[in-house]
Amino acid sequence: MVGEIRKKRLIEAMLEAGLDGLVLYGNAWQNDYLRYAADFGILEGEGLAVVTRDGNVTLYLDDELEGERAAVECPEVRTVVADDLIGAVSGVIARLGNSRIAAGPKRHLPYGLAAQRGDLRFEDATALVDRLLMVKSADELNAVRSAARLADEGYAVFRGAAAVGKKDFELIAEIESFFRNEGVDDNFMIIGVGGPEVRGMAPPLGKILKPGDLVTTELTPCVNGYYVQICRTLVIGEPNEAQRKVFGIYDDALEAGLAVVKPGVTAADIARAENDIFRAHGLGEYVTSEYTRVRGHGLGLFPDTKPHILEDVNTVIEEGMSMIVHPNTYNPEIGYFVHGDSLIVRADGPEILTRTPRELFSVGARRATA
Amino acid sequence: MRHGLILWREQELSLADVKARQVRLQQAIAAAGLDGVLIYTNHVRSAGVTWISGFTPYWSDGLVLVLREGQPIFLTALSKRVGEWVKSVAPTFEVAHSPLPGKLAGERLAKVGATRLGVVELDRMPGGVVDEILSVLPVELSDASELFTAVRGQPDRAELDLARRTDNIAREAFKAGDIKGKYAGDFTGAVERAVRLAGAEECYVAVAPDLSKDRRFIRAGKQELGRTFAVRLSIAYNGVWARRIETFSAVSKIAARLASVSAELDRASPAFPANGSISDFSLPDGAELIDWHLEAPHGTRPLKVVADAETPLAAPVPYGVLTVTLVLDGETIVASRPVGLGDSSVREAAE
Repeated sequence: MVGEIRKKRLIEAMLEAGLDGLVLYGNAWQNDYLRYAADFGILEGEGLAVVTRDGNVTLYLDDELEGERAAVECPEVRTVVADDLIGAVSGVIARLGNSRIAAGPKRHLPYGLAAQRGDLRFEDATALVDRLLMVKSADELNAVRSAARLADEGYAVFRGAAAVGKKDFELIAEIESFFRNEGVDDNFMIIGVGGPEVRGMAPPLGKILKPGDLVTTELTPCVNGYYVQICRTLVIGEPNEAQRKVFGIYDDALEAGLAVVKPGVTAADIARAENDIFRAHGLGEYVTSEYTRVRGHGLGLFPDTKPHILEDVNTVIEEGMSMIVHPNTYNPEIGYFVHGDSLIVRADGPEILTRTPRELFSVGARRATA
Repeated sequence: MRHGLILWREQELSLADVKARQVRLQQAIAAAGLDGVLIYTNHVRSAGVTWISGFTPYWSDGLVLVLREGQPIFLTALSKRVGEWVKSVAPTFEVAHSPLPGKLAGERLAKVGATRLGVVELDRMPGGVVDEILSVLPVELSDASELFTAVRGQPDRAELDLARRTDNIAREAFKAGDIKGKYAGDFTGAVERAVRLAGAEECYVAVAPDLSKDRRFIRAGKQELGRTFAVRLSIAYNGVWARRIETFSAVSKIAARLASVSAELDRASPAFPANGSISDFSLPDGAELIDWHLEAPHGTRPLKVVADAETPLAAPVPYGVLTVTLVLDGETIVASRPVGLGDSSVREAAE
């Protein structure tokens, strides 16, 4: 259903732009463009969707197993499995002659496809599709809301599984198993375990949880293609005074960022509101790119999509966007700290999606792994 | 993205193992009259870079530039903070950061006066990366896929041992599944958990929930299980992928027969050559072969179908995964096993 709505929006945008065709690339990491058109959650290999102005979508995949799965999971889309993906799609494009064809995401479009198109060239579809990805339809927003429930439930599983003696990857095993049982297709997740020596989150390193550790995580479950994120930090044992104090700063920064969110402001306005809290505490150095990447970002068919919440990004926030505000960064006293909630931008401000309390969670230091 | 543990495990894949691969590729680069070879990686097309460096990206993408001499360079748009993680799990290359990794590759090539660059799967290289390289240096690009495949196709002990280890993780994990579960997720959730607790870096699970109706595999956890069903585990461990398919039944008489077939395949498969032929493959007595295919690491793909009943194997592969569909006593059975792993794995499987 939501796939059909997306396809309709895509065709309307194509017609408005005067395009005859679109070629959209995807793989399991960068799948938003492909999924927007073909509604397939690709896992292995690569895919290209060819969309024509008459509303036809054909999905080209280079992996036989994925082709088999696509035939069952999205039977409404014509799927072609081609080991020579570039040759197959180039042949289709060639038959469209010198009509106006755009492709995206521009940076990922395979070189061979552009080379075979030669002087006719592809127009850049990036801006057209990015806009559709950012400002979502009502049905898409409902899908986003469904994913939010699982982000909260996932964090509860995470908290429940955290224990002294447990390894970071074992925590992730519990989460992934829970998510698969719940029909979650994918989950973007990184983790940090330790104290002031931890300068960011990373994939699991086999670290063992011990009393006093901060355990940071971003959980980003994907339900029917839509990602929602939650960022929280927990302490193994009772939080110390420094940890409590620093939590207050991050909580204020999150509140400040969320308070700004409404249609018409810019991404920079939100980032500035978050960062001003840190600057007021003499922590301005720690909101630079040396210590943090973004102060939030868009969410949707990709876990880290536009707009990026940064003080130099002037994208105007619009009703119907979904995003996370997260003032995550390093703190020199206690280490890397994360705190963030996902939201939908509504006319009157943010609709907060994630409902896990904004607390510095504590897991009993004596709770040892079985 | 990846979801599991990635570590540098010197005892399983040593610096010397990786260095030997790098030297082999550098010799091939020189013999072909190239100045270097560029290999793209993301977590879907990770196999080329994983083989030459032991590194698999958790998310995002990158390039490895192998010049005729010296340490390969990993070029990435990932932040320097993530770069620290990269260095900790792959001490086999230099890590260089740029928001435009292709441009940085062009600059490194210009520094050594390069004029001819081979690119593994040139057609598939993101066009933006190629544009970035050419914006710095008008280097002659050629497709280096055949060159790479020829070097890559030679198995080494470390890779075969890891393939066997990965398959063992799958075999053990299947024991955690509840064959009496109502839904696919009842079985697969516990299996995936077991795989990840064993330290795998990735696990994909797919199910053919009712083999009497459909042999195709899907990912839906809420599908009701039929009398016989098959589960496909695709696992990465330390950069090496294995697939294992087992067929199960909650009906005890059928289950016993399936277990016996599975054990027979375990005995026969590891030593069977990964040569794209099935004529000498030992099938259970009375079984009728319906379909088969062979997968193997190929180029940047961790596993790809490289041979089947209609398509012969085009180039040697280091090891393979053979999938067979059989009918035995009226039941459809689907099974995958690693092949081309040598004698020691035969003993291990038999034990």
